[in-house]
Amino acid sequence: MFSSVLIANRGEIALRVARACRELGIRTVMVHSAADDHSPALRLADERVRIGPAPASRSYLYPPAILEAAERTGAEAVHPGYGFLSEDPEFAEMCEDQGLTFVGPPAAVLGRLGDKAEARRVASAAGLPVLPGSAHPLRNGSEAERVAGEVGYPVIIKAVAGGGGRGMAVVRHPRELAQAYSTTRVAAQTAFGDGRLYIERYVEGARHIEVQILADRHGNVLSLGERDCSVQRRRQKLIEETPAPGLPPALMAEICDAAVSGARAIGYVGAGTFEFVVDADGAFFFIEVNSRIQVEHPVTEMVTGVDLVREQLLIAGDRELALRDEDVVRRGVAIECRVNAEDPERGFLPTPGVVEEFTPPGGPFTRVDTHGAPGIRVTADYDSLLAKVIVSGQDRDHAIARMDRALAEFRVAGRGVRTTIGFLQEVLAHPLFQDAKHTTSLVDSMISL
Amino acid sequence: MTESSEQLDALCRNVVRLLDAARGPVHTLRVVAGDAAVELIWPQPEPPVPGAGQAASRPPEVESASAAADGAEICAPTVGTFYRSPEPGSPPFVTEGDLVEAGQQVAILEAMKLMNPIEADRPGRITKIIVADGDPVEYGQPLFLISPDS
Repeated sequence: MFSSVLIANRGEIALRVARACRELGIRTVMVHSAADDHSPALRLADERVRIGPAPASRSYLYPPAILEAAERTGAEAVHPGYGFLSEDPEFAEMCEDQGLTFVGPPAAVLGRLGDKAEARRVASAAGLPVLPGSAHPLRNGSEAERVAGEVGYPVIIKAVAGGGGRGMAVVRHPRELAQAYSTTRVAAQTAFGDGRLYIERYVEGARHIEVQILADRHGNVLSLGERDCSVQRRRQKLIEETPAPGLPPALMAEICDAAVSGARAIGYVGAGTFEFVVDADGAFFFIEVNSRIQVEHPVTEMVTGVDLVREQLLIAGDRELALRDEDVVRRGVAIECRVNAEDPERGFLPTPGVVEEFTPPGGPFTRVDTHGAPGIRVTADYDSLLAKVIVSGQDRDHAIARMDRALAEFRVAGRGVRTTIGFLQEVLAHPLFQDAKHTTSLVDSMISL
Repeated sequence: MTESSEQLDALCRNVVRLLDAARGPVHTLRVVAGDAAVELIWPQPEPPVPGAGQAASRPPEVESASAAADGAEICAPTVGTFYRSPEPGSPPFVTEGDLVEAGQQVAILEAMKLMNPIEADRPGRITKIIVADGDPVEYGQPLFLISPDS
């Protein structure tokens, strides 16, 4: 087991990792950009290195600066958090080459799962249901039209190097395909440096279900149950919960088993998430794997009592999972709301500014993961996540009421700063959400009203 | 060039002069072109973060050079190790008191075997070498003081 970890991230997840390290007695090194000089997150680090300017391309996304900081501080492991370099196989390899333990799956696994077309093939070969679509990256627009015709409209065009809801377009009619193909190709090339695309059938009115996996280096693979992340705006999650409401427990058990099979087939190591869609008929299909800790991991922690980041660190330290299937007992319902510094009245535009008042909620069964504090500056350099509010309750109605109460307590103010708190409360109060009859199109339908 | 764009051009030049003369970093600059109005807003002093130690007490820094009492600073463009000479044992790029041209190499910053040349961003005299040869530096850390040669 290593005794020091460099945290190659910022914001709430850097804090989350630092806390898990402290509880394990592991020394922490936080790297940060000049924009984060005053971040309260740095307070919890044993050592801090300012590695670059505000743009992530020269700080949080710049391996030489991060590795230099690791060498200088004698860090033995690197925790990449989520986003930034967390799923970059080259970065994982550079860490290992330098003798650093990368807290995540092996570089080869990251590489295969990062290629979303390859991930589909692996999942399919492992017996997981996948949506009809292209078996290989598309060669050109005319192949796209042929495959879309075979699959049947609507289809979704996705970037092979994409994931996390970025670099994709839904096409409902053949006449829109050529345009969507070229636009997505350019977008994917720009965003990921890889313009390869693939096509899948698009499921309208679906539920987004994902399974939390833990896998150690000794062949043990464990499911910690599903999360429902169907409340999304443009494929960015806003509210997540577990268990998945209104879906048959037997179906959820089947999906969890499928995720475990998939993780075994690919040789997964660490904490990971297998994403699926469930259609209106209750059929489920594999979508992709997120090879890292996820933003919404706390809902699973709240109902299982398992500290996922701690488990990640122990797995990276070569420990065998102490948990067995029978140890995973889920109690009650947990919900997470993402409070973003965005203005719902202006198309969820990020609102940079200085936060003057910041009073997070408290009370029973209420957890707030945040780097927020009075005086922090929300900048346009990074994503707009300000805080995650997570609550649990004995049943779903109780959890929803508790979340509404918690959000009502939350005070964030500052010139120019707006948040999604009010909008989240609207979703909680929506009859379709309350009755668990909502799908991934709920938010879009609320906005277009 | 039309009349209005000439006016705008002149306004911009004046605004740049104004910014140069302004005290401290300006938070917001608002320019209204019709009946020209210029509004400058300075940031509210941010409350200190308790316990954040040295990271919080460092002054806000600028990309490569920032104004200092006795000249401008040449700052580290990345995290790395500061070297004054092209290789061990060879003479340093510059010593205190040297005159340098804009673009002249004054040091090397090594990060993971990548040798980043540090160049003077203006002509002048090196009045102080702040960091010792072989010392680790962070991004934005002042390395040299450079003054206009008078």
